[in-house]
Amino acid sequence: MRKLAVLLLLGLALAQNRGGELRVAVLAEPPVLDPTASTSQEIPRMLYDNVLQGLVKFNEKGEIVPALAERWEGSPSGLTWTFHLRKGVRFHNGSPFTAEDVLFKFNRARDPKSGHTHPEYYQDIGSVEAKDPYTVVFRLRQPNQDFLFNLARPDSVIGPKGRVEEQKTQPIGTGPFRFVAWERGVGVRLERFEGYYEPGLPYLDRVFFRFLPDQNAQLAALRAGDIHVIGLGVSPETALVLQKDPNFKVITGFTTTEITTGMNNSRPPFNDLRVRRAIQHAVDKKALVEGVMLGFGTPIGSHRSPGEGCYVDLSGFYPYDPAKAKALLQEAGYGPGNPLRFTFTLAAPYPYERRLGEAIAAQLAQIGVQARLEVVEWATWLSRVFRGADYQMTIIGHSEPNDIGIYANPNYYFRYDSPRFRELYTQYLRTPDAKKACDLMKEMQRLLAQDAVNLWVMNAPYLAAMRKEVMGWWPNQPTPSLNVTRVYLAR
Amino acid sequence: MGRFLLRRLLLALVTLWLASSLVFAFLLFLPGDPVQAILGLEASPEARAALERALGLDRPPGKRYLRWLAGLMRLDLGESIRYARPVASLVGERLALSLALVLLGLGGALLFALPLALWAARFPPVDLALSGLMAFLQSVPTFFLGVVLLYAFAVHLPLLPASGFPGWQDPLAALRHLLLPALTLALARAAVLFRMARGSLLEVLSQDYIRTARAKGVPEGWVLLKHALRPASLPVVTLLGLEGGFLLTGAVVVEAVFALPGLGGLALTALEARDYPLLQGLVLVMAALIVLFNLAVDLLYGLLDPRVEYA
Repeated sequence: MRKLAVLLLLGLALAQNRGGELRVAVLAEPPVLDPTASTSQEIPRMLYDNVLQGLVKFNEKGEIVPALAERWEGSPSGLTWTFHLRKGVRFHNGSPFTAEDVLFKFNRARDPKSGHTHPEYYQDIGSVEAKDPYTVVFRLRQPNQDFLFNLARPDSVIGPKGRVEEQKTQPIGTGPFRFVAWERGVGVRLERFEGYYEPGLPYLDRVFFRFLPDQNAQLAALRAGDIHVIGLGVSPETALVLQKDPNFKVITGFTTTEITTGMNNSRPPFNDLRVRRAIQHAVDKKALVEGVMLGFGTPIGSHRSPGEGCYVDLSGFYPYDPAKAKALLQEAGYGPGNPLRFTFTLAAPYPYERRLGEAIAAQLAQIGVQARLEVVEWATWLSRVFRGADYQMTIIGHSEPNDIGIYANPNYYFRYDSPRFRELYTQYLRTPDAKKACDLMKEMQRLLAQDAVNLWVMNAPYLAAMRKEVMGWWPNQPTPSLNVTRVYLAR
Repeated sequence: MGRFLLRRLLLALVTLWLASSLVFAFLLFLPGDPVQAILGLEASPEARAALERALGLDRPPGKRYLRWLAGLMRLDLGESIRYARPVASLVGERLALSLALVLLGLGGALLFALPLALWAARFPPVDLALSGLMAFLQSVPTFFLGVVLLYAFAVHLPLLPASGFPGWQDPLAALRHLLLPALTLALARAAVLFRMARGSLLEVLSQDYIRTARAKGVPEGWVLLKHALRPASLPVVTLLGLEGGFLLTGAVVVEAVFALPGLGGLALTALEARDYPLLQGLVLVMAALIVLFNLAVDLLYGLLDPRVEYA
């Protein structure tokens, strides 16, 4: 009886908090609104799960949970995956969601000529069949440990069958909110979808994502009451100020961004393991987090973020030890008479990576290393550093989740060529055994640290700021998503 | 007059063709490509090739250029790669706002600068103070000025909306959203206009005919307004024409601070995304507007100075 009363009270409290419009600032306008047509992260930030859903999805902790599939099973071989679809689901245009939509989606996704983003996520899918309108069977050409993970990505959202071009500007999905309008240069408006399959959700009536590119403008708009939330990218300086203000709160958690000081492993001086290790010992990551990020962020020691599964903390693998760094450099032939010199390429549009780069160069200077800083524009960075690997050292945030596989590609811009790593990665990818896969994932992280491929600095913090009354905001970003399904305005 | 206009029109067409061709040529030398932005960094060569074909980027530059020119003849600016929409509609959406911002901003600047310049020319004691104030305004970065105004009039004294643009459906609301950014532009650009107007007024005031007028006993205020202002305004008008052209995209900082969807932000995005058709279209439209502004200035000359002849 008492339990019932509590439940009733809770229900009443929530009923009072229902409704209203939430206005959220986002940094930039995406080119289109379909995450299967462009890899711009601004798209899933507004639409993932809110409007567009796939068979499975990430929750706020990064776990894979049911979305349009209520359950699924993989065969012991890892080759056959059966998904049982939720019944009675409707798209925002009223048409029912069935296996036909799933088939259309994944036949398009696995066709590299269709213009679908990241066709490589789906290349192991041999066939997709509908056993009945609510059962879909995927047959893989070979086991793929990341198959389910890839199905939870924003690229795997499902729209109505046959709808491709229109999705770019008028996205239709099955989420708790339906798309209302895209006001160019201004923002995107969503509205509560009355036909949503989870009873009682969402709480808000309307959501307005506004494009506010300038930090100062965001802060002014928040203080003026124009917006309720700065959805991402709050600077540490602003976060400290807002934390002290009783009208606002700052929410911080993990992202999947590894801020990585990339080293070209195929060119002098970083083709020498001793030099790469010396760099690791010469940099004080804790000081970087404190000094540049004002304490926001977590030092890491390999290419994986603490919020991701099967993570090993290797941040102390090379303790900060300038004397050891100097000794290693001496061994490699560098010293006071012949100092280590190289060019450190920074990408202009990323102020924090740039600041970190400058701070790292300053720390390296303390052991006599001369890093010449060079700032380049983004398209130049992409073509020269990322595509051409024409660089010595650079720094950038790798925001893709679960992306350790880039080290299995010897042509990737780090030019890390390790048969041992490739073998581990293939084993990981092809084993149907989750426990074994997890062990292999940990081993890969250790191997990267041992080889000191790059200097992994920190996991970039997720920083959002909002008015006190905004409740239910996701603290983490396991995938780019400002999920407003359970957000409400407390009254 | 008719022949003058015709010649100017022909000249304008050549200017436009030159400007857009030069942009096309320069873009060929820039590193980076638009396909990457769409498919992601890890896209397979196969997928990249398919998209390049679909976008027509696999053709040699010469062919692409001719195709673009042919489209231009039909008044078709092509389709933006990043936005997958016609360039003309993208530019059209933002042109009205940018023009309104520039007109309001420069109009405001003139409203500040001209009376102050007259005052400064009339009363040497205030001249120093006003010149100092204007030098200060000129040296304050626009984004800082914008943020100060934003906090003053949208946060602490909530008179005006902080940022964004609601569209033209409600002209009054649109104007309210443009007021602060226009004020920022006006204050920032007033300094240059003030200096120009003041300098040119002082020069005119030292002319013999002004002395004659004064000697005749014409009141000083009348001397300024009737005899000095008109000839002194010629350089100011020239400057207005130049500023107008520059501010269409040069107001990008103000656009960013107040989150306005204007042409400056669009041009910057187009450049970053290497959206060639959009960038070329923008340059073309911009060049056309600058030519138009300059023509307007030339015609204004005739009104202000009867000695000017169009030949």
